[in-house]
Amino acid sequence: MTYFSTYSLSRSFGGVRAVNDATVEIEQGKISALIGPNGSGKTTFFNLVTGMITADAGKVLFKGSSIGGLKPHQVALRGVGRTFQITRLFREMTVLENMLVPVRRFGVRELLKDAVGGSEAARAMLWLDRVGLTKLQGEPAANLSYGQQKLLELASLMMSEPELVLLDEPAGGVNPVMIQRISGLVRELNSEGTTFFIVEHNMPLVMDLCDHVVVFDAGIPIAKGTPDVIRDDPKVIEAYLGG
Amino acid sequence: MLSGSKEAIGRFVKWGTLLLLVCLALAYPWLFPNPYLRFVGVMTVMYMGLATSWNLMAGNTGYVSLGHSAFFGVGAYFTGIMIVRFDMPPFAMVAAAGVFVGLFAIVIGWLALRTRDASFVIVTLALVYIMLLLAQGWRGLTGGSSGLSLPRMEGIGREDAHVPFYFAFLILLAVVLFTTWWIGRSKFGMGLVAIRGDEDKAAALGVNTDLYKLIAFVLSAGFTGIGGGIYVYWFSYIEPFFVFSITIGVNMILMALLGGTRSLFGPALGALLLVPGTQYLIGEYGSTQLHVVLTGLLLGAIVMVLPMGIIPSLRSAAAHLWSASSGASSAATCTESDEVAEGVGR
Amino acid sequence: MSSHLLLQAVVLGVLTGGVYSLWSAGLTLIFGVMRVVNIAHAAFLVLSAYLSWFAYTELGIDPLLSLFATVPAFFVVGVLIQRLLLARLRDHVTMMSVLLTTALAITIEGSLGMLWTGSHRGIEISYSTSSFSLAGISFPSDQVIGFVLAALTFFALFMLLRHSRYGKALRATIQNPDAASLLGIKTTTIQGIGFGLGLATAAVGGLILGLIHPFFPATHWAWIARIMAIIVLGGLGSVTGAALAALLMGVIESVVLVTLSPVWAGMIFYLVLAGTLVFRPHGFFGGRLAERF
Ligand SMILES: Nc1ncnc2c1ncn2[C@@H]1O[C@H](COP(=O)(O)OP(=O)(O)O)[C@@H](O)[C@H]1O
Ligand SMILES: [Mg+2]
Repeated sequence: MTYFSTYSLSRSFGGVRAVNDATVEIEQGKISALIGPNGSGKTTFFNLVTGMITADAGKVLFKGSSIGGLKPHQVALRGVGRTFQITRLFREMTVLENMLVPVRRFGVRELLKDAVGGSEAARAMLWLDRVGLTKLQGEPAANLSYGQQKLLELASLMMSEPELVLLDEPAGGVNPVMIQRISGLVRELNSEGTTFFIVEHNMPLVMDLCDHVVVFDAGIPIAKGTPDVIRDDPKVIEAYLGG
Repeated sequence: MLSGSKEAIGRFVKWGTLLLLVCLALAYPWLFPNPYLRFVGVMTVMYMGLATSWNLMAGNTGYVSLGHSAFFGVGAYFTGIMIVRFDMPPFAMVAAAGVFVGLFAIVIGWLALRTRDASFVIVTLALVYIMLLLAQGWRGLTGGSSGLSLPRMEGIGREDAHVPFYFAFLILLAVVLFTTWWIGRSKFGMGLVAIRGDEDKAAALGVNTDLYKLIAFVLSAGFTGIGGGIYVYWFSYIEPFFVFSITIGVNMILMALLGGTRSLFGPALGALLLVPGTQYLIGEYGSTQLHVVLTGLLLGAIVMVLPMGIIPSLRSAAAHLWSASSGASSAATCTESDEVAEGVGR
Repeated sequence: MSSHLLLQAVVLGVLTGGVYSLWSAGLTLIFGVMRVVNIAHAAFLVLSAYLSWFAYTELGIDPLLSLFATVPAFFVVGVLIQRLLLARLRDHVTMMSVLLTTALAITIEGSLGMLWTGSHRGIEISYSTSSFSLAGISFPSDQVIGFVLAALTFFALFMLLRHSRYGKALRATIQNPDAASLLGIKTTTIQGIGFGLGLATAAVGGLILGLIHPFFPATHWAWIARIMAIIVLGGLGSVTGAALAALLMGVIESVVLVTLSPVWAGMIFYLVLAGTLVFRPHGFFGGRLAERF
């Protein structure tokens, strides 16, 4: 049984086939990458998988059951978490409050329990400590630098204890130091058992971090394999250089 | 150590003020035994509860209901009809009104929240007219346009007629405040505020946004319905045009906005400031429409100039002063050298 | 129910529906171009009715002539409201604009009440109180005048949106404001003019309101609730959708009025609103906002 897979997933916008017949597989415990030129449908693929938009056709399977057609919060509660290409935080909420939004389990007791003072806040503080944002816990998220926002987005996602994490360009728009911190964190989390699927343009980072790479072109998966194989694949070079 | 004692003082002041306010609220009917002032007192506490109820939805999720007078009216009619037509015990029916209006709000909320378009606003506004038509048309039950008269409360002198209702509204206020406070600290409350910020993002983090919104809406409506129930027993009379008018709902909105929708006590403060003033205006210039014009202008002014409302604005002004005077570091002075990438991708 | 009476009801319904078309076109245009639910739309209708009524009863100016003043004035007021007020809202724009236009509506309502009391008024001109009949169907003059005025205004608006350069820019703005501004379209100007146009149609619509219905300062709430039900049915932001939905509702209302009762005729708007939200939450005629017009 594959851990996570899609079969013939498709979605068009008007005439544009953003994701076209995409069959993709991911292995548990690995860090996989999804690469492809701009506009090749990577974000749309994530949106389809997480239920943010509906597919025209195709299936999404996670741990043997279908998660296609589920609502976004249901997908999240099944253990598939995601971040966004342009970081999305609750800008008026403080850093700590941002950490308290994600839901691990759905239940009356879970939802009514004290989030500000109880065990939930303690758990959040552990994560903030880990990403080095403890001092900023009381700041509105809007006041953070972009790199800090990326860290907070990932940390808050981890509060929901996802098994599979989809990151949409985690290194996009941040400086090299911050890229190191983020990739270090991803590697750590992966060694603790979280599976990653990462959209990323930074090729050295992809080559360094990932075990497996899927390449999209015009919504179609055109190649997959280890970073070394992908690097030398003529189809991939063609997709990036040709138009 | 220093900050520890400062915190202790802060807590002492906070709880001390709260205790004092509670004592004042409890003593009010005897501090001001004049029937007119007692009447204004009931009105004030009623609106304090209503504005706080309205804010349970709007303050958390950002969804503005223009039609909360409909829930007020349904609560009032339910209680009135139960007392007059079915001879039920009044205060039990007031509580039942909360449940009835809550159930009613499930249906309305389900409809109104089906899209994230402006349809929430539209449905809540239309609801007032639906209920108005129903109350006018269903004569056998509601008495139609001639209204419904209730028996007055027995065993109580004219002097003290307002007192039980004052306390009924005070209890409602306390319950709504407590609920709002609890929700504000809970995981559920975090989800609601997240909805206000970014609904899709909240959903991606496992927040069942539709359900959260519906629950907040039902609570907000239910409490408002209880307010209507107390009101009808207090006034002993109800007619369609009076309760099913946009005005009552707009009053709640104005008060909540004035005090501050993002604070626990904001809406109540807004009511405390506005109701006595409005009563005065109506007393002096009731025949003109001056109070309507002032309501509109004030609402517009708040939206344009003070959208956060009094309490949050004061709070942020105080925080500003504090950080300016102590030179405390803010987020801008962060540890890493990640400012290089600042602004990229935003 | 005789078929003759039914036919009469349908004719009257079409006449009313034409007027609703104009009212809702302005409202849905404003929504489309800047996602603002203009709660004050009907208040502006009533304001225009009062102005025409005042010009006629006090100054003796024919209501149709007063349009030459009210239409440009409303246009300017609309542009100003957008530029000076709505464009300055920063956070939570959808809900804050609802509150702002609510404030406008209340201010207008209160001011009308202070100026001219809460009594019912109506514009009664010699040529509007008669009626004529055709093939046994009676056509009340005021309704026919209203329908013709509404149809002409609607047609003008439609041609402007469809065939002018401004209309093109406006449609681009409606579909995707960000992309439009990337293409060099000044979206704030477009939105200002859009709001102005919406209110200009309300100036005409208000005169028609005054000719056909009695009015008082607070009447606008009942009207706005109905017009909103119509634009939801038509698909928020779709001008053609709103027009079709309005015609349909005019006919349905009129038929329900003669077959059931006035209460049901009022109620039918909200039943249709509820039905729309249950079965087609994005409206029946509009489709997705991106594909509208
Ligand atoms: N909501 C949308 N509406 C219309 N077109 C869209 C939408 N989202 C994506 N697209 C189109 O789908 C294609 C793929 O986009 P995207 O998934 O964002 O690519 P990537 O993330 O690989 O850069 C692009 O042509 C884009 O314009
Ligand atoms: Mg992308």
